[in-house]
Amino acid sequence: MTNEAAIRPDCIEAEILENANDLIIVLDPQGMIHLWNRTAETITGYPSDEVMGKRDIWKKLYPDTAYRQTVTKKITGIIAARKYFKNIETTIVTKNGEQRIISWNTRQIESNGTIWEIAIGRDVTELVAAKQVIQRNEAFQKSIIANAKLWMMFLDPDNNVRIWNKAAEEISGYTQDEILGNRRIWQWIYPENNYRKEVTKKIVDIIRNKKYLENFETNVRTKHGEIRRISWNTRELTGIDGKLLGYIVVGNDITEKKRAEEALIAYMAEIAMRIKQPVEIVRDTLREVAQLCRDNKLSMDEIAIMLDGQVRNATQIAANVQEFQKAITNSAREIPEAYRKFLEGE
Amino acid sequence: MPSIVNQKDIDKKKIFLVLATPANIRQRNIELIKDLSSLGYHVVIVTINFPYNILVKLYRENGVDLGMVSFIDAVTRNSIGSVENVPGVVRYINNPANLTDLGIAVTEALKDHQGKKICVLYDSVSTMLIYLSSQNISKFIHFVTNKLRLMDISGIFLAVEKGLDPMLMSQLTTFVDTVIETD
Repeated sequence: MTNEAAIRPDCIEAEILENANDLIIVLDPQGMIHLWNRTAETITGYPSDEVMGKRDIWKKLYPDTAYRQTVTKKITGIIAARKYFKNIETTIVTKNGEQRIISWNTRQIESNGTIWEIAIGRDVTELVAAKQVIQRNEAFQKSIIANAKLWMMFLDPDNNVRIWNKAAEEISGYTQDEILGNRRIWQWIYPENNYRKEVTKKIVDIIRNKKYLENFETNVRTKHGEIRRISWNTRELTGIDGKLLGYIVVGNDITEKKRAEEALIAYMAEIAMRIKQPVEIVRDTLREVAQLCRDNKLSMDEIAIMLDGQVRNATQIAANVQEFQKAITNSAREIPEAYRKFLEGE
Repeated sequence: MPSIVNQKDIDKKKIFLVLATPANIRQRNIELIKDLSSLGYHVVIVTINFPYNILVKLYRENGVDLGMVSFIDAVTRNSIGSVENVPGVVRYINNPANLTDLGIAVTEALKDHQGKKICVLYDSVSTMLIYLSSQNISKFIHFVTNKLRLMDISGIFLAVEKGLDPMLMSQLTTFVDTVIETD
């Protein structure tokens, strides 16, 4: 409500000031309040008749002395330097004890030889809270990317690396500083020309057709000269306008898994060879002995020697099978309990 | 009947891996010995599955000149315990997995026939798989082939075809000069 004696805006201006969506406060050079609009009443909870012509509203809005002093010092400093301030955020306490964040802008105007201070405040509580949520989400997303166990990078449409996470550093040996904006990365991780061309061609072909890569495996040479097998997945990222923003590239280091698989295949092949063939040898030998017996070519002693030999072979085959069972159960602890018990002979 | 190995290669002291079907492997063994004997070679046979006594019977029956063969027998001692070596004819070892004993026996057998044209026949790699891992077999054959080359002696490893896994097969292929697949 306006103090008619002090400042006299015309009717339209008064209506605008009263109904503005922002808090509008007019103070005289002594700090007395001469205008306290409806939004100021709504947001603070203090009606204009409790505020007009007084200076103590700031103690109510900033009841914490230390905080009030900090705000006052800051405002005084800014006003001394340039007579106004812009977008200064402070937290007020409303009449019902709620905290609201207000973004303040001030101007000085001269009327009838008096300098008036106009303070305009916008309630940005929800906006600040939303910004904080967004910031927290962004920080969380960054943290996920940074700390993921997967090699993660983001390539812009010109194939420049824009994001290079910790796992990418650990697996490749190249730090973020070495990589960001550096297009030589591909020559580093694929130093062999033909292989690099082959990989690049495949990637381009797949992305052109499907717009994404799934479990595409390549051999990457690390900074330390080690070869790692990486399974790549990519997604094309476009903006709301449909324009290409770049590619999210996620690499899973499957080197150990591949080695384990190869070792397992080699082991299974060894098992097959060292069980199947020996059993066949025993079978064929016994068949041969049977034939020699039918032909009366062997004495009892000779038959006994032959059979003893096959008993020893069979005993050794059984021992080999047991050894394989032990090795399998030790190397594959994740196999189902029932199978493990079977393999362990329980 | 054509020879499994030709004289030229044997005279060059080449080392062979001869592959045969399970049904034919005994017959290939006999044919090889007859071939080598006819070329004037004394054959030292390392036998892991058939004992000396029975092999002698089978060879005699098939017309093998027994004066041209001697044996390293890894079967008999297991069955009847103590049995004496007959130098120049047969040497026994207790266990085919004992590669040291096997190596000593081969060296002794080679000494027994010093000055002769000798060929060592291992019968068979497939039976050795009962007692040794493919890794140990590979090491052993590498050792034996090196030794044979140093001593300028020809050697033949018999194996059942398709019984060796690709990894072992590729290793053996690099150790020998020629791989012969018989019918």
